[in-house]
Amino acid sequence: MSARTHQLDLILNLTRRNFFLQFRGSLLGLLWALLLPIIQLMVFAFLFQRVVPLGIENYPVFVFTALLPWNWFSVSILSAGNLFMVHRDLVRRPNFTPSTLALVSALTNLLTYLVALPIVFVLVAISGRAITWTVLLLPFIMLIQGTLIVGLSLFIATWNVFYRDVQQITGVAVMLLFYLTPVFYSLERVGPEYRIAFTLNPMAVLVQSYRAILYEGTIPDWKGLLVASTVALAALGIGYLSYRREIQEVYDFL
Amino acid sequence: MDLALEIQGVSKRFRTQRNRPATLKELFIQRLKGRGPTGAGEHWALREISFALEKGRSLGIIGHNGAGKSTLLRLVCGLGRPTTGTIQYWGQIGSLLELGSGFQPEMTGRENLLTGGILNGLSRREVEAIQGEIIAFAELEEFIDQPVRTYSSGMYLRLAFATITHFDPDFLIIDELLAVGDSRFHQKCLDRLKSFRKAGKSLLIVSHDLDQIRASCDEVLVLEEGRIVARGDPESAIRSYYDVMRQRTEKRQAQIGVAHQPIAPVQQGTRYGTQEATITAVRLFDGEERMTDHIYAGSPLTVELEYLRANTVPDMACLVGIFNENDTKCFETFIPSVHTASGKLSERGSIRCHLPEVPLVPARYYVAVGLFPTDWSFVYDHHGQMHTLHIMNESGILADVSGVLMVRPDWAVRSLDPS
Repeated sequence: MSARTHQLDLILNLTRRNFFLQFRGSLLGLLWALLLPIIQLMVFAFLFQRVVPLGIENYPVFVFTALLPWNWFSVSILSAGNLFMVHRDLVRRPNFTPSTLALVSALTNLLTYLVALPIVFVLVAISGRAITWTVLLLPFIMLIQGTLIVGLSLFIATWNVFYRDVQQITGVAVMLLFYLTPVFYSLERVGPEYRIAFTLNPMAVLVQSYRAILYEGTIPDWKGLLVASTVALAALGIGYLSYRREIQEVYDFL
Repeated sequence: MDLALEIQGVSKRFRTQRNRPATLKELFIQRLKGRGPTGAGEHWALREISFALEKGRSLGIIGHNGAGKSTLLRLVCGLGRPTTGTIQYWGQIGSLLELGSGFQPEMTGRENLLTGGILNGLSRREVEAIQGEIIAFAELEEFIDQPVRTYSSGMYLRLAFATITHFDPDFLIIDELLAVGDSRFHQKCLDRLKSFRKAGKSLLIVSHDLDQIRASCDEVLVLEEGRIVARGDPESAIRSYYDVMRQRTEKRQAQIGVAHQPIAPVQQGTRYGTQEATITAVRLFDGEERMTDHIYAGSPLTVELEYLRANTVPDMACLVGIFNENDTKCFETFIPSVHTASGKLSERGSIRCHLPEVPLVPARYYVAVGLFPTDWSFVYDHHGQMHTLHIMNESGILADVSGVLMVRPDWAVRSLDPS
């Protein structure tokens, strides 16, 4: 068996393992992967349709298309700080490459996203809209987001071993980023003078792209995606370089 | 000469926790004060270690706690990089580093086995093909689908050992493996390791159990304060290990001065130790609780020792052994913590070790007793060949028995000729 197929085998096995591990011992099991976003959806729908109406058509579809990728991002990033510590059982194996964990974590949370994705299609169908061929672009958007997540996770996981502040900072940053990402509101409401902040925020671009594909049925803005891809690749580069430079010290610390 | 492992000039420096700032705030403070993250607060866990291991050979590493054994094994496993020097190995490594590492507690034994196999370079299908054999070896048929967290430490060990040796690594690294588990499984493991070596594979073993080192190693290194202080065949290396222990004791003795004058002069044998805890009397009793120095073969014996302890001794381990005139160990036992055994450690006290029977061949023996710190790193007080024990025969000398163990033989001779 070649080294590459073996590596793939390992990644898939660990992803499957970690995915099901989340639900081990719970009565509802896999249902939680659906319940959590649905509850979030209901809260948003109540808040922004009844309490502070934003006047957005088909609000549940609108929110849900953005909420699922946002959860993928935030859950991955928030758990990245302890990535090496939680998986000490693997990191301490002689034949294991710890960076694999960042990829496995991104894939595990992607699975959660994919499990809930059919709900979006159901909501779209209920709302009377149609799914267009643009849905074929989804994997491409996911690839960009995955790259971003892996890069950031490597960076956070590595530095948090030495400086526990990293995790605290990450927590605050993710919270702020949530409000700077048009998950529950529409970007059209944002004045042009603030637009630059959303162009440079790759999560805003990605969320808008998912929404274009699933909610509007149009092709996403490729210029924005170009910027987001650049940011994602930069994150991957910086994350991997810090990981490579520090991993030997990480071993000493664990 | 085919090498399995070659280590050249390996040193490892750890920065102590204090020195690397734990939070960014501390980092800023450190920078403001103009101190970089290097400087004082370094700890050299290993210094200039060089050795090579040929294929099909097994190497043992012994040394006291903190001598650098585990650090060395971790470096060989690729966990961390040596500060200087190089480590090279050929083939696939399998390791049993710490009991407990390597398994995900929430997953079942079977799932952990699969992950372990894939990590060791097997495909899912290959693991599935051999998992039956592994489960049978580990004797875990009933428990294999339970989460690993429900396992006892013995079950854990059995699974860990069975998986790693069945994944067929070229080179196996074991840290204190056989500390747990019953003696039958222990023997099964030793047999497995033996066949492993016969197949031309190499072993690197760290252990506190010197008998195990003796049984399973071709060569032994003694580590002390991160340096190799002796290497050689197991017997001579173990002698050096005891020398190191003696040196430590003497060094400590010089530092603290005399805690207690050894009471009662030494008439025979050897006595040494820092005397922070000192054995003030040793008495032997027979089955009728009579103080004596001679008992009949196969009859009970009680060894009683009295000690006096300085305040600097928080706890101690106690060792009792019987040695013959050639200084061969016939029997040895110990309690790892007198404190735990008694609940409280008094300043003066006595420790009794009752042996329901002593089936030794009639001869002259010595009872050895010792008090040690609980990490066994030096000696408080040790009496070797000081206390004589005569084993006698109830009905004169038996001419047809020799050796160490006294068992009354019962012969039966029958003819199998067809009559």
